[in-house]
Amino acid sequence: MRDRFVSRWAGVLLSLVGIVATVWLAATGQLGLYIHPRYYVFTTVMAVTAAVFTVAAFAIVPASGPARDEERELGDEHEHDHHHHGHDHDHDHDEHDEHDEHGHDHHERDGHDTPSGQAGRRTAAVVGSVLVTVLTTGALLVLPPATLTTSTVDQRDLNASVAGPAAVESADLIGGDYSTFTVKDWASLIRQGADEDFFADKSATLTGFVTPDPDDPDNVFYVARFVVTCCAVDAQPVGVAVYSPDWASRFPVDSWVTVTGPFGANPSLASLQTIAITPEAINPTEQPNEPYVY
Amino acid sequence: MSGPAWNTEGATETAAEGAPGERHPRGSRPSVHRGHRTLDVVPTRRAAPRLATGLTAGIALAVVLLTLRVVSPQTPSEGVPEQVRDFFTLSISVLVESLPFVFLGVILSIAVRIFVPETLFTRLLPTHPVARRAVMSLLGVLLPVCECGNVPLARGLLLKGLSVSEAMTFLLAAPILNPVTIITTYQAFGWDNGILVGRILGGFVIANLIGWLFSLHPHQEQLLTPRFEAACRMDHDHPETGARMRRSVLAFAEETSTMLPALVVGSAIAGAIQVGVSRETLATLGGNPVLSVLALMALAFIIAICSNVDAFFILSFGSTFLPGSIVAFLVFGAMVDVKMLALLRTTFTASALLRVTATVGLCCLVLGLGVNLLA
Repeated sequence: MRDRFVSRWAGVLLSLVGIVATVWLAATGQLGLYIHPRYYVFTTVMAVTAAVFTVAAFAIVPASGPARDEERELGDEHEHDHHHHGHDHDHDHDEHDEHDEHGHDHHERDGHDTPSGQAGRRTAAVVGSVLVTVLTTGALLVLPPATLTTSTVDQRDLNASVAGPAAVESADLIGGDYSTFTVKDWASLIRQGADEDFFADKSATLTGFVTPDPDDPDNVFYVARFVVTCCAVDAQPVGVAVYSPDWASRFPVDSWVTVTGPFGANPSLASLQTIAITPEAINPTEQPNEPYVY
Repeated sequence: MSGPAWNTEGATETAAEGAPGERHPRGSRPSVHRGHRTLDVVPTRRAAPRLATGLTAGIALAVVLLTLRVVSPQTPSEGVPEQVRDFFTLSISVLVESLPFVFLGVILSIAVRIFVPETLFTRLLPTHPVARRAVMSLLGVLLPVCECGNVPLARGLLLKGLSVSEAMTFLLAAPILNPVTIITTYQAFGWDNGILVGRILGGFVIANLIGWLFSLHPHQEQLLTPRFEAACRMDHDHPETGARMRRSVLAFAEETSTMLPALVVGSAIAGAIQVGVSRETLATLGGNPVLSVLALMALAFIIAICSNVDAFFILSFGSTFLPGSIVAFLVFGAMVDVKMLALLRTTFTASALLRVTATVGLCCLVLGLGVNLLA
C-alpha cells in the first residue's frame, strides 16, 4: 500500500488537486492571475479531460494488482544483479540518494542495501510524496489567489522590456486613440523617447498598482502593471511616473488606484523619469479582474 | 474476480509490504505474475458495486477539495512578506500553466503505448540510425506539445522500444521544430538578423548532434534512471495485455505519479529562483557579444518559459540584446531549463542530464556567437 501510494495514488491525488484548483479559478474568472488568456480554453479542456481519467482511477486503482514496480521488486530483483549495469552500482547509488531528497523516487536498489536502509528509503519516499501532495493542496486550495507585488517589480527592472518593438509600434501608437491607451502603451511611448512637446497637450486616465520610484520614493510613484506573455513567471513590470509629493501617506504600496491628469516634464529632480503625470485626481480602486496586461 | 485470484493479490501485497529487504526466492515469481494477470480478468459479479464505490469516492473527494477551496480565504492577508507571497504566485503560475500540457503529454503517451500497434514505428522509421534520429527530430511537427508535455510522451516512446538517443533527439528538437513555435518566432522576428533560421537550423543540428553523441554510448539504457530502465525492460519482456481502457487509466495514475511531483518541485524551484535572482544585472550585459549570449542563456534557464511563446517574451528585450544572444535564448531555453530538468530527472540519470545540459549549452554558445558574428 505504501508503494502504491507513491506509484499511483500520489499522481491521482495531485491531479485531482490541480484539476479542482484550475476549474475553480476558471469558474470564478481568476485564471488571469496566473496565465495568459489564450490558454484559458486549453487549460479548462485539459482539466476536464484529466478529470475523467482521475475519477476513473478511483474506481480502477483499488481493484488493480500491485504496481508494476512493486512486482519488479519482488520478481526481478535477482535478475537485476546479473545485468550489465551491475558495475554501475555505486554511481547510481549516489544519484539515488540525491533524488530521494526530492521525494519522488522510491526505487529500491536490488539487494545492494541493508534491509533497514531499504525500509528507510521507502519510508522517505512515502513521506516525500505525502509532503508534496499536502503542500500542493495548501498552495492551490488554501492560499488565497494573488497577483504579483512590488517585491517582483524590484527584481525586474521596471520598463526594461517596453523598449523592444521599437519604431514600428511607436509609429502605430502615435496618432491612435489616446483615450484607449493602457499603462503599457504610454510607458512604451515615454521609453521610446517621445519628447515633452509631444506630451504637452496629452492627458490620461490610468489604472494600476502603486509602486515607488526608487530614485525619488517620497515624491514619485509609478502607476504600474505587469505585462504577461505566457504566465506570471515572465511578467514584466511597466509603469508611468506620477508626481505626487507625500503620496505614501495616502496610498499604500501595491494598492490599486486610478490616476487622472496631464503629462508634463517631471518636476522631481532626483527621478530619472523625464515625463510624469501631474495628477488632478487619484482614486483608490478595486484590483481589476484581469490585473495583467498582454 | 474469483476468490483465489484475490488471495494471490493480497499475498503479493503483504509480501511487498511486510519484508522489504527480504530476498524472495525465484520461485515466488510465477505467483506474482499470476497475481498481476488478475488485473486483466474483467471481474463480473463484484465489479459493478466496486467500481461504483470507487467513482463515488473520487467524486466525493473532489467535492471536499472544492469545498476547501471555497471556504478558504479569498483575499491575500496583510502581514505575509511580499517575497513569500510572490514565491507562491510565481510557482503556482508555472504549475497552472504547465499542468494541462503535462496532462496532454501523459494522454498522448498512453495513446502511443496502448493504442499504437507495436510494429508501427519499425515500419515507418528508416533503418539507418542517423535518418531515424532526423525523423524523430521532426516528430514535433505532428505532435505540437509544449516541452513539458514532451517528457511523458518521450517516456511512452522509450517504453515502446525506441532508443535513448532517439528519444533524446525528439525531446530536444520537438519544442523548436513544431509549427506553433515556428509561427510565433516568425511573427515576433520575421526574417530579421537570421533569428528564425538560426533557431530552426540550430535546433535541428544540436538535437541530432546530441542524439548522435548519445548513440555512441555502449549501454544507452544506463542513461535512464534504474527505475525507468527496469520499467522499459519489463514492458518489453512482459507486454501488458487486457482491457485497454483499464490499462489506460492505470497508466494515467502511474505516469502522473511520476510526473506531477517532479512538476511541483520544478515549479517551486523556478518560483524560488525568480524571487531570489534580480534581472537587472542580466539586462546590463546586453551589449557585449559574448556576455549577452551567456546572460540570455542564464535567463532562459531560470525563467523556464514555454517554447511556443518565448519569442514574444524575448522580443520585448529586442533592442537591449544582440541577435545571437536571442537565438541562444530561443534554442537553449527550448531544450533545457530548470523545470525541464526536474521533469527529465524522472527518466534520465543526473549524469546524463549534466552531459546534455553542458553540451547544449556549449552548442548554443557557439551558435549565438556565430550569429552575432554574421548578423
